Amino acid sequence: MYQVEASKALLKPRLWFRRPESLRVSRNVLMLGFTSMLTDISSEMVATILPLYLVFSLGASPLALGAIDGTYRGAAAVVQVLAGFASDRWRRHKQVAESGYGLSAFSKVALVAAGNSIGGIGAIVAFDRIGKGIRTAPRDALISLSSTKDNLATSFGVHRALDSAGAMLGPLVSFGILLAAPARFDAVFVVSTLFAFLGLAVLVLTVQGKPWRAPREGAPPSLRKAAGLLRDPRFSLLLIAAVVLSMASVSDALIYVGLQRKIDFEPAVFPLLYVVTAVVFMALAIPVGRLADRVGRVPVLLGGFALLFVVYAALMLNSLGYFGLIISLAALGGYFAASEGVLTAIAGAVLPEDLQASGIGILITVVSIGNLVSSLAFGALWLAIGLQQAVIVFVVALAAALAVAAPLLLRAQRSAQYG
Amino acid sequence: MGSRNAKILIGLVVLCLVGGGVYVAIAATGPSPTETNVRPVATEVLARTDLLVRAVDPKKPTLNGGVYELDDGKLRHDGDLSCERVYYAAGHGICMGVAPSGVDYTATIFNDRLEGEATISLNGLPSRARVSADGRYGAMTVFVTGDSYLASSTAFSTRTYVVDMASGNVLAQLEEFEVSKDGKPFDSVDFNFWGMTFDPADSDRFYATLGTGDHHYLVEGDIAAREMRVLRDGVECPSLSPDGSRIAFKARIPGTNRWRLRVLDLATLEEHPVVERRSIDDQVEWLDEDTLAYSDGVDVFTVPADGSGEPEVLVRDATSPVRLSAPLASAGEQRG
Repeated sequence: MYQVEASKALLKPRLWFRRPESLRVSRNVLMLGFTSMLTDISSEMVATILPLYLVFSLGASPLALGAIDGTYRGAAAVVQVLAGFASDRWRRHKQVAESGYGLSAFSKVALVAAGNSIGGIGAIVAFDRIGKGIRTAPRDALISLSSTKDNLATSFGVHRALDSAGAMLGPLVSFGILLAAPARFDAVFVVSTLFAFLGLAVLVLTVQGKPWRAPREGAPPSLRKAAGLLRDPRFSLLLIAAVVLSMASVSDALIYVGLQRKIDFEPAVFPLLYVVTAVVFMALAIPVGRLADRVGRVPVLLGGFALLFVVYAALMLNSLGYFGLIISLAALGGYFAASEGVLTAIAGAVLPEDLQASGIGILITVVSIGNLVSSLAFGALWLAIGLQQAVIVFVVALAAALAVAAPLLLRAQRSAQYG
Repeated sequence: MGSRNAKILIGLVVLCLVGGGVYVAIAATGPSPTETNVRPVATEVLARTDLLVRAVDPKKPTLNGGVYELDDGKLRHDGDLSCERVYYAAGHGICMGVAPSGVDYTATIFNDRLEGEATISLNGLPSRARVSADGRYGAMTVFVTGDSYLASSTAFSTRTYVVDMASGNVLAQLEEFEVSKDGKPFDSVDFNFWGMTFDPADSDRFYATLGTGDHHYLVEGDIAAREMRVLRDGVECPSLSPDGSRIAFKARIPGTNRWRLRVLDLATLEEHPVVERRSIDDQVEWLDEDTLAYSDGVDVFTVPADGSGEPEVLVRDATSPVRLSAPLASAGEQRG
């Protein structure tokens, strides 16, 4: 049913790989991937045209967009941890995820019905993002619970590949509609709403909500027990490693700003930076996940972060030709493929079954705080000592972070396997 | 997946495909809001013949407005030129707007017959346009908003491009230029540039706004040397007077996105407000040494540059006023 199964035979005779019991991903993972893909098509369709719509159809000042973008970010972070714990507590990961996908779908309806004031659109966008915050942790917990210890990273790879495919397709669908019906934003909103509800329908109709292997017994996890995760030796090692690594990695947004300064080209080429990176990410997510399941998730994760050295090197050069640009964008895409999904897979292996969503919620939030710190630090360094020196600081920081994180991650994972 | 659920899902997919397809098909065959061949209702126009504006019919708002020339108190619309922001000087013009697809932005470089000669793809919302008095260089500012791929929307920012008007090629982006402040190199990740204005006597020399943190610096620059230096804080969207001695600009009311128009004397560095009590978000145009023209987003107004008088409506339902130092070729032919 899925090509990973069919192509499995091709990969068999690799002697240096540990033979895994199974690299197939469960149907649940595949269906969660399609849910995310359809939802991402819906979200990115709107995100692509929102600036144009606000400014030209509503006459809003472009500055209002900055404020809307800000609401995007704050809203999601807060609810992640709460939604994660709630789904563990109630043992209803699927229902909590459904409420998150549902909230985003209904925010699209609101856009169709009443999207003609800038304040209203700000609120609708915030609801969309809150929905994203609610669904992420329970959905990743479902992926983890629907996988075996041998195909965890492959499962996350499959999900992330489908997810990023949706993010690539969304703008194309919008573009296609507006090509056929110029400036008919209402048509984009209607089709976006349909995609959102199809995503929700795939989740509701096809995803098995209680994929755990052993029947659940005993009391549901308490808040105290979830908070106890922070004292859990395995999970806390993982959290420390994740924070250290995220603080040493320059955010992709800043990387794009830096790269754009290194090259002379037409403004029309800028969107291609994102396209190239996204295509590489999409193409590598599954193979990298399989590799992680075969040779070990920790080395692949560390290797992914090491790819950032290539990007940092590009940022230190005085100028960058097209060849250098492609190399650094490919490295960036490889880093995406080998970092977030693999890290979540490691967490899935480390976390106890009944606290998967809580732990993943904590992990996502901690990583986003680390990313925020690194962005602020990189911006301040750029101002104080210039781009090249700031990058040198981050090269040193990344090397140190890898040296610190490697033993922590290996210990966290070893105790997960044998403890 | 139960076979019942599978059937429901397949049914929903078919329903959505048909429903979405029908909606898009109806939208595609209906009237398009990007068509611009509608005349604006210009109720009040001073009898000037030296002005180019972008105008729309308020009853039929469109994405792009038509480019109109003022002719004996009437607006004349020759050709198909339509956009959001227009500027013109010495036979070369820039018209920045939404592309026909409705999803992209382009700039059209046009000649003295208002005919497009080249197009430049833009990576953001059109904001400001300028052409040097000799028609050699153009300047375009766009707002770049969140890039949607990988949900990694960069913070909202502006980019300003220098254009070779003869070829229609982008020569540089202001972020590539070296910046100095108090004689020392100055750089930050949050640098944004907008609102270029060219020295009428030497088109290589320009002024612009550099935004960083809470500061909005007036910078003075040189295109050939690819460098800029910071002059002072609190000046946005500068516009040089025809004699090059003064700068009209918008001054931000601290902590807001509201502005007041002011004029700065470059020799004495003294500045004074003009009599416009509303917030104006525009790059002012000098109609002559004594008169400023600007839009409040709806109509084009004039006000004396020396701080006297009152604002007056120049053209209703129009934005982007451009002083024409010589009549356009098309107007000359038809009058002759």
